[in-house]
Amino acid sequence: MTIALEIKDLHVEVSNKKILKGLSLNIEHGEMAAIMGPNGAGKSTLASVLAGKEGYNVVSGSVKYLGKNLLDMPTDERAAAGVFLAFQYPVEIPGVATSTFVRTALNAQRRHRGEVELDAIEFLKLARARAKELEMSEDFFKREVNVGFSGGEKKRAEVFQMSMLSPILAILDETDSGLDIDALKIVAEGVNKLRSDKLCGIVITHYQRLLEYLKPDTIHILADGKIVKTGDKSLALVLEEKGYQGIIEAA
Amino acid sequence: MKNISDIKNRYYKSYNDILPNLPGLGLDWMKRLRDDAIKQFHQDGFPDKSVEEWNVNSFKGLTDTFYMTQQEDSYEIDYPSIEKKDAECLVRVIFHNGKIISIDHDELPKGVQVNSLKFFIKNNSDFLKEKIKPANEYSEARLSNIIDSRPQSIVALNAAFHEDGAIIHIDKNIEVPGYIELMHIGDYSENSMKHIRSVIFLDKGSKCEVIENIQGHKNNNTVFTSDVTDIHLSQGSSLSYNRFIRGNSKNIHVNNVHAQLDKGSEFICNSLINCDGQARNEVRINLLGEHAISNVNVLMMGKNKSLHETLTKVKHATKNTKSVQVIRTILDENSRGSFQGKIRVEEGADGTLAEMSGKSLLLSDQARVNAKPELEILADDVKCSHGVTVGTLSKEQLFYLQSRGIPEHEARKLLINSFSNTIISNFSNILIKRAENFILENYNEND
Repeated sequence: MTIALEIKDLHVEVSNKKILKGLSLNIEHGEMAAIMGPNGAGKSTLASVLAGKEGYNVVSGSVKYLGKNLLDMPTDERAAAGVFLAFQYPVEIPGVATSTFVRTALNAQRRHRGEVELDAIEFLKLARARAKELEMSEDFFKREVNVGFSGGEKKRAEVFQMSMLSPILAILDETDSGLDIDALKIVAEGVNKLRSDKLCGIVITHYQRLLEYLKPDTIHILADGKIVKTGDKSLALVLEEKGYQGIIEAA
Repeated sequence: MKNISDIKNRYYKSYNDILPNLPGLGLDWMKRLRDDAIKQFHQDGFPDKSVEEWNVNSFKGLTDTFYMTQQEDSYEIDYPSIEKKDAECLVRVIFHNGKIISIDHDELPKGVQVNSLKFFIKNNSDFLKEKIKPANEYSEARLSNIIDSRPQSIVALNAAFHEDGAIIHIDKNIEVPGYIELMHIGDYSENSMKHIRSVIFLDKGSKCEVIENIQGHKNNNTVFTSDVTDIHLSQGSSLSYNRFIRGNSKNIHVNNVHAQLDKGSEFICNSLINCDGQARNEVRINLLGEHAISNVNVLMMGKNKSLHETLTKVKHATKNTKSVQVIRTILDENSRGSFQGKIRVEEGADGTLAEMSGKSLLLSDQARVNAKPELEILADDVKCSHGVTVGTLSKEQLFYLQSRGIPEHEARKLLINSFSNTIISNFSNILIKRAENFILENYNEND
């Protein structure tokens, strides 16, 4: 296994407030890594920094992705290079059909990689196949991006986008928040279908439940801006028993 | 800068010189209409900032410059550059420098008349007399009962100087097959003004679709255009009136629409306005008969130092009428815009439904927009709403699009289009066809 993502001693500030304080993490191709931690530990900040959101000031440290300096790349180039962030709160875009949005994104990525763009028919074929795999109705192709979607629909739409864009690094930011148990299952199954030797994932979550379905290879506890403990899936069970405080104190 | 009252006097003085060239002098009532109108204009002058309807922006070159109507009649027209009318177009009227130079049509069905003002003066002047009211009736008083409100002096100037116009007259129960296009082109050799006076009359139960295609002038001379269109929809008739207004940086457009709606009639008024110069769009609607419905959709798109203004006044004069107004403004660079909308519900006009929504999108820090919605409700049982917003492109939305691999400029374009799509989807097909190509053209330039 080769390393896909290498985060070294990352320090990040938001509005002059230190959020990440020396975070280091390596993720290999094919690895599904779960990041758990209490509120305010910096989980979502990590997701935003990796995706390239404005307003996150990297003070020091480095992020290498597929051998390149990720922090130097603009957001759209990161996406074209295979970084995908599934949003905790997917953004509504009135007036833009979901299929238009996904096709624009897919073709922009392909163009950036020097690949031939998909025409409308090729795109529709692919989109139909992917929607079918995720047991999604095609009705939502025509619906405006995330507008009027239920919580579960929004998360499924994120997984659909992920499957269309076939990323190498998928970051799932609290994908389980706001989902009932059935929706959670469907979303997790959707993600599991996309797993491969190449894809690596960062699953950010509060709860053990999503991990029962996603079965991560590694679990990392993030507290106060740092990874304080790393282990296999049994760590989640310990966490369930002792709570974050217990683990943080033991570390 | 020249004295404003001096300019006013010059128009007044030039009137007698120009008069012999204007149509309709053989008709007593029309001569009187012109005479009274120039007197009224001389009395009122151009609206200044003391007039509420004109106090947001200043129109450069409107009140401090004297324009002549251009007299030479037969100008060489480059016909091949004008595309042929398309198959769904029943009649196309081409105005060049404010005068009709061609009326192109297939065989007209019975009951459909589309012709020039001059033709009607000759052949059916009684109809015109009924539809073109004296200028002093085009006062705000015609819409609201406020006694001290001011007349529209640009309408008075138009009434005095109008040279031509298109008259559309549809007989009872006729559904016009295909649309009617009024195309305006121009190529002035000097600074000029032009006044167009048009009438659209739909008799009971008839139906018609019209598009005004107003293009920018070729030469770079300042041209002040006043378009006044009187619309009368009889009981149960339905008009879709569409305008695509363009112009170069030297164009000043002032367009006035006065629509009167009888019982059960329907008026759809769609405007796409993109002028590099200054454009003002005034729409006044009188819902006079029960169950009359009006829908106003306006999309203004400004760039550079352009100015776009829309003023709407909708009066619900009787029971159970409905009006919807949707105004969208997109401003880039140093452009300016304004929307003033007023809904007035008269006493006893119960069962009124009225909605007004104005949203503006500012694409640059220098762009400015003003919005003023007003409701005046004198009846008890009404449902009225208005909402006005001004915003910029959402950072959250931009980031979401970029995180999927869409480059920033493309993401901006997608969001701008999504903003305008909400109104373009209200437009009728003939305007959509033009608008879509146009918007692609317009925003590709920025790539």
